[in-house]
Amino acid sequence: MHVSPLSWIALACAIAAAIIMILYLIYRPPLNATTKALLVLGVGVLPIMTAMIGNVEGLRATEQQGFCGSCHTMEPWIEDANDLQSESLAAIHSRTIKFGGSSCYVCHKDYGMLGYAVTKIGGMGHVYKFVTEWMWYDREEALSKIHIARPFKNENCMQCHSTTGSIWSDVQDHVGLLDDLRAGETSCVSAGCHGYAHPFSKPEEETPQAMEAHSDLQLSSPEGT
Amino acid sequence: MSLKAKIKRFLDTASRRRLIWWACVLGLIALAFMTWSLFDQGWIPVMMAMSVGQGIGTLSFALFLLVVFIDLRQAEFRPSIPEDLRKPKTD
Repeated sequence: MHVSPLSWIALACAIAAAIIMILYLIYRPPLNATTKALLVLGVGVLPIMTAMIGNVEGLRATEQQGFCGSCHTMEPWIEDANDLQSESLAAIHSRTIKFGGSSCYVCHKDYGMLGYAVTKIGGMGHVYKFVTEWMWYDREEALSKIHIARPFKNENCMQCHSTTGSIWSDVQDHVGLLDDLRAGETSCVSAGCHGYAHPFSKPEEETPQAMEAHSDLQLSSPEGT
Repeated sequence: MSLKAKIKRFLDTASRRRLIWWACVLGLIALAFMTWSLFDQGWIPVMMAMSVGQGIGTLSFALFLLVVFIDLRQAEFRPSIPEDLRKPKTD
């Protein structure tokens, strides 16, 4: 478990605030100027600092794989992403330093102007679905019943693979489909192209072609793609 | 009794010590939620800290501010400038 320096500061503030409040509850001193000044710290300033740091750390935590994987229904996806033998797009991307422990978030976040808020609202939807329905699924049910809410946008791939680099343009299929790819009419992660990002979660009849289509291509770094 | 009268009556009679007692108790509960999320970053602690924890913490601080308001409302005006040095009321 990694605990950031900010978290330690928040903990120190929380402990100091708790000491002030507990001492007040035990001794119940008269409400003179000294008591009030201490209470401003104990009930106001220090808890607010803890809350602010808690928000920063909490929002940062929601970008980590560990957070997504803390729902048991997501375990197959996380296990595949971290499987060094897996050739799925999710696993390949998770092995790069730019994705790493945040690979779920980096690929699935909305990159629009309000992307951060939209992504978080989407995440709240996931929590609601989990609490009301998915919580009761076992792994098999999760695999067959949980699907992405809307088709994966090519825009998310294009944050790194800009579609303008020479390596990317050397692939004839890319050139022929350029307008469709940029318009999102042909998905990069469709069965006929690069295959599904999480192929194990798809019906078997859909996956073989997906994995064979570009199996002979060398995966290059985003630069030049 | 109208709502305004009820609020006025509450402000006149509320015990500041009791309000601060509740502010401290709620503050401690809120801090527990918030510190839990710093060390266990699964979805339950993080969601609880950022919803229930913050809600209870805000209520705690609001009670403290209410005490400050009651204090100010009941405070007597004690001018620091001696009366003979003040500007005349007709100025």
